[in-house]
Amino acid sequence: MKSKRCFSYVVIAMILAAVVSGCSTAATAPEAKVLDWRFHDIVDVAFVQQYAKVPMADNVMIIDARPRRAKYDKGHIPMAVSIPDSQFDKMAGMLPADKGALLIYYCGGPACKLSHKSAAKAEAMGYSNVKVFEAGFPGWMSVAGNYASVSEAWMKQQIDAGADMVVIDSRPRRAKYDKGHIPTAISIPDSQFETLQDQLPRDKSKLLVFYCGGFKCKLSHKSAAKAMAMGYSHVKVFAAGYPAWKKLAETAMAAPVQVKTGPEEGSIDIDAFKKILAQNPESLYIIDVRDADEFQTGSLKTAVNIPVDALEDKIKSLPTDRPIVFICGTGARSGESFYMVQDLRPELKNVYYLDAEMTVHKDGSFTLKKPV
Amino acid sequence: MLKRTMIGTLALLLTLSFIGSAMALEAGNKRKGKYTYRKVFSACFERGEVQSKKPPISPDMKTQAQWTRVFEKEDFEQFGCQQEWSKLGEAELSDIYAYLHDHAADSPTPAKCK
Repeated sequence: MKSKRCFSYVVIAMILAAVVSGCSTAATAPEAKVLDWRFHDIVDVAFVQQYAKVPMADNVMIIDARPRRAKYDKGHIPMAVSIPDSQFDKMAGMLPADKGALLIYYCGGPACKLSHKSAAKAEAMGYSNVKVFEAGFPGWMSVAGNYASVSEAWMKQQIDAGADMVVIDSRPRRAKYDKGHIPTAISIPDSQFETLQDQLPRDKSKLLVFYCGGFKCKLSHKSAAKAMAMGYSHVKVFAAGYPAWKKLAETAMAAPVQVKTGPEEGSIDIDAFKKILAQNPESLYIIDVRDADEFQTGSLKTAVNIPVDALEDKIKSLPTDRPIVFICGTGARSGESFYMVQDLRPELKNVYYLDAEMTVHKDGSFTLKKPV
Repeated sequence: MLKRTMIGTLALLLTLSFIGSAMALEAGNKRKGKYTYRKVFSACFERGEVQSKKPPISPDMKTQAQWTRVFEKEDFEQFGCQQEWSKLGEAELSDIYAYLHDHAADSPTPAKCK
């Protein structure tokens, strides 16, 4: 009986303790809520700077937890990868296999929870060396000498839109740039930066974007630092560089190009043609049907020469894997070529001609005017 | 009175037919016409009547008014290759006319047969 009473006292005491502890928790709730999402291991910019370098140390990953398109693509800490917090579960496979690897998460600054949330999830997965750079991307950019990296999606968007920027290829000219480069890029090899720096714009506020041979290439980062030292205030590095750009172009090429037709039967829309030439010229099979001597004075870079008089003999060899566009100086011979194909190879449906006055200069630049 | 009405009607019909034929000629496709024009002589060359595939008369060898007269009268003997010309339909003739007329000597873009 005594023990039963004793047990009842213990139960009552426990209930009271639970109620009291519940009340006290409720009383301190606002403070606890603030700390709720804050990760326990916070690092500063100096810590991040040790690792945001080329080549990156093994077993380290800097992770941008912000939305990719809206934030990461436009600018991120160099060498950071994008794993948006909203995509954490889907993209967790990108994290290093070694659970002891150093993971540094960041997002949009002290008020941003995303990096803290992702860090907690990573820790829950078993990662033992997880940090949060709480000052985030704004904190990174506030330090003099730091610059942002941009993604290939951003680069393509800017180039397609004809953005007011200077793209600089920091790789050696003959060995790399001359063999292929990002459209509109100028060549200032890092090794010749001092001698060629006068090619940079006079306006120091102009956006400069440096690139070289990919994530393991230092040249663009070195040149970006030199440009900032010269006083350029708006400098970015496209760290994925030419390999990523080339891959993007190849992917775009593999996708079938949609040709917008012009007002005349069989003609290609002039503006659409210019756009394809700027973005993905290889997606068209361009045939310059002028005479060989005219072709030699200059033609579009990706054009092949089949003079209209020789076209009939070669008409069976025309490709079917991409749209064919005939070009000439006025639209007369290109139009004739179009109708020749209609007559002799009617099964070819993806054939067009440029109904425009075209002037091509030696350097491959060109002007197109609507025909009289 | 009846005679006058008939003459008037006839004149109107003639005018309308002239305008109609001119409009039909105008409606041709000059790009297609260039190809068809050259095809005439190419076929003629294959048959052995002429020595060259190149058309003997370039657009800039006549004025626009002269080309109009040639096609209104269907006076194609001067080209030779009658066998090929006789096979051409109205649309093809309109196309050829558009090509020759638009590149005539007095046009904004006179052209030779290249």
